[in-house]
Amino acid sequence: MRHKLIQSCGIAWTLFYAAFVVWLYATAPRTLSELRTEASASVGTYAVDEARFQAARELFRREQYRAAREEWLRADPARRDARTQFYTAYAFYREGWGHLYNDDALFRQGVEAVDLAIKLSPGGALAVDDPDLRIHSAAELKAELEQGAETTWGDLNPARVLRERK
Amino acid sequence: MTKRRETAGREKRERDANGRDETDRVANRRETNRLLTIHLLLPTIFLTAALAGGVRVEGASRALAFVAPPLVTLVLAVLLLALFARGRLVDLPGWLSHDNAPLANLSHALTLLSLFFASAQAFNSVLPDAGLFRWLFSFFFLWTLWQNQFASLDARRTLRAVVALFGTAFALKHLLLASLYAPEGGWLRRVAGALVEGVTQGSLGEQPTVAPSTGYISFFTLALYVVGLILLPRAPGEGLNEATRALSVVEDHRRLATVERDEARAEILRAELRRLEAGDREPRGVEELIRSDDD
Repeated sequence: MRHKLIQSCGIAWTLFYAAFVVWLYATAPRTLSELRTEASASVGTYAVDEARFQAARELFRREQYRAAREEWLRADPARRDARTQFYTAYAFYREGWGHLYNDDALFRQGVEAVDLAIKLSPGGALAVDDPDLRIHSAAELKAELEQGAETTWGDLNPARVLRERK
Repeated sequence: MTKRRETAGREKRERDANGRDETDRVANRRETNRLLTIHLLLPTIFLTAALAGGVRVEGASRALAFVAPPLVTLVLAVLLLALFARGRLVDLPGWLSHDNAPLANLSHALTLLSLFFASAQAFNSVLPDAGLFRWLFSFFFLWTLWQNQFASLDARRTLRAVVALFGTAFALKHLLLASLYAPEGGWLRRVAGALVEGVTQGSLGEQPTVAPSTGYISFFTLALYVVGLILLPRAPGEGLNEATRALSVVEDHRRLATVERDEARAEILRAELRRLEAGDREPRGVEELIRSDDD
């Protein structure tokens, strides 16, 4: 009886510890705070810091896009919230958009963020109901960002200066 | 008179019974500790070594990096485990046997698996992270382990050889190479710079910069790994009965060189003769004989 109990405990403990080691190498946290965030995300207790999220939205409204993105990163350090990633992508879009030309580097980062938002949203469909935004779906934002990052003959069209930022 | 004799007899019986209880309690404790070591302590030690073996602390940012075992360390770990089996540090048929219960075999397999990954990560922690030195170290590890496969080793010698191997590699990587490639210029870099100008500037052996704490983590990993090896029994049931121990002694005896074997036999006979001359006619266990011989 004692034999079996110790053996069973040993097997359970070894499997649990081995799984922890594998998880640690798979997630590869760079700091202890990242480790805590990853751990809470894994056990399902992870939540976006709502106060920071709203503060970032306020910065976004005031067109301080870089600061807004940093604040959203603090609100969602594990980058696991689809809505926050959508806003981050939107901030890249607004900052990178120009009447004459777009900042391709920022647009590409925006594509990465919106891809992550689509991946994180259930069924890949994400819609954000915010009256301050003119694009509400992640798919539409992605198309806008991808189009903006492409180099085409249309870029030479002088009528481009008349288009509006969304 | 009769009453006094009866009382003395009863007291003697009580003393014997108490003695037997104490012996049983000690045997019980020993058995529990043995089980805890094999099924809980050893996997914990080896998995901790496996965890810590791949941890690096980056030089400038002090960020953690987890380096999974590269393929070459897995090959080295296989060779090392083969060496353990050949040197009888680990008796594989004793650990995994048809005679064991399935649960026991599963638990033993997990312990051996954790030993394998701890070995791989122990190599990982002493292998330079990049450049020519990484290949040189890998080559020398392979060379040493392959050579040792054909050497006559027993458990103690195998353990010593492993400690020496890891100790040397640790000193080379974390003391010599770390000093050679220290960004602020370690003592060895200054000496090398003075002897051969530009020898440390080449990209052939360049190493990624890591914080000094990486060396401490590596030291902890190796210490833990060696402690695990010291605690690792040859087989889980070893030492449970006299017959197993006697067989193990005979097996060790068979592995000796012919001259050593003759010497051992002569020593045993001398000890036996001394014992008979002293008038001790009680039969004694093989290990006891050898122990008294050692004394």
